[in-house]
Amino acid sequence: MTDILLSLLFGMVATAGFAGLTHAPRRTWLPASVVGGIGYMLYEILQRGGVAEPASMFAGVLCACILSQILARKMRVIATIFITLSIIPCVPGLGLYRTMVFLGQRQAYEALICGVNTMIDIMMIALAAGVSEFAVRCFQRK
Amino acid sequence: MEAMYMKALENAGRIIMENGGEAYRVEETVSRMGEAFGMAHVESFAIPSGIFISCKDHAGQVETMVLRVHRGGGDLDKVDRVNAISRQVVDGSISPEEACRQLEELHSLREDSRAGNVMAAAVAAFGFAFMFRGNLTDAVISAITAASVQLLAFLPKRIRIAGLSGALAGGFITALVPNLLFTLWRIGTTEAIVSGALMPLVPGVAMTNAVRDTLRGDIVSGVSHAA
Repeated sequence: MTDILLSLLFGMVATAGFAGLTHAPRRTWLPASVVGGIGYMLYEILQRGGVAEPASMFAGVLCACILSQILARKMRVIATIFITLSIIPCVPGLGLYRTMVFLGQRQAYEALICGVNTMIDIMMIALAAGVSEFAVRCFQRK
Repeated sequence: MEAMYMKALENAGRIIMENGGEAYRVEETVSRMGEAFGMAHVESFAIPSGIFISCKDHAGQVETMVLRVHRGGGDLDKVDRVNAISRQVVDGSISPEEACRQLEELHSLREDSRAGNVMAAAVAAFGFAFMFRGNLTDAVISAITAASVQLLAFLPKRIRIAGLSGALAGGFITALVPNLLFTLWRIGTTEAIVSGALMPLVPGVAMTNAVRDTLRGDIVSGVSHAA
């Protein structure tokens, strides 16, 4: 339980730092950080529950993106701000790093496996961001 | 056709594109503002490296602008402010003249955000290092490394490296510092420190824009952002 709460906290810290880097409007920093933290926490919960990595990634990012779209409409802010910030904690930085390290060490097979898994994660992020747009639009029509 | 309005459309499009807005947002904003300014017809086409704006007034006179856009630092606050001005002028809560004045002010606004970037990168790297299974020592080293990469922006202009070279130099420093620390004194977990410190260099805005532009059918802009 503590680990899960810590993942929320660290996700929030990372998102807040990124909010500063992208010069997002200050009023969005806290809500975006919370959404980013929630997305990452959901990803961690699913991972620890034995759900496959791509599915966990998809669910975490989808949750973050839907919350982002709702918040953007409520706060009358462009959705790009919330979406960019909230997906950042889920970006597979470790996978990208490991891929490059394997390549540097001439371990081509490990680099390939790690690279493909990382690319699948990135595709899941893109897919979730796309699905969230349609989901929110469908919900609005009703 | 009023030159002031054309300048306002130019400023709006340029600010959005230079600061990390999507291509479709530039096109929508320019079209809506042009109509709010009383133009008969406005067409625009935006890609990450340029914007074309064509306006026709009620007398049938056509004016066209081609703008070369150089990507800026990515200031989402500016994009949001242009969006707010556009909304206000469309719903009539501010006059077109006031919108033009505000856009001109926003365009000429130059803020030195380098110190803020150093802090922000440190905070982001601190959080990411923990997320990548690092401990407190790793997080602190990661924060210092990420902050030192941002310090490159403080170099004198003649030796400052920017763009792709800047990113390469940043990546090099990010990998070098933790590896040196580990090799010389066995301090820290290299993997957590490096990947945490690398995260502030991830082009998050470009990634989001690539997805959003592609989803709207704007393949050229989507691919361009992704590249």
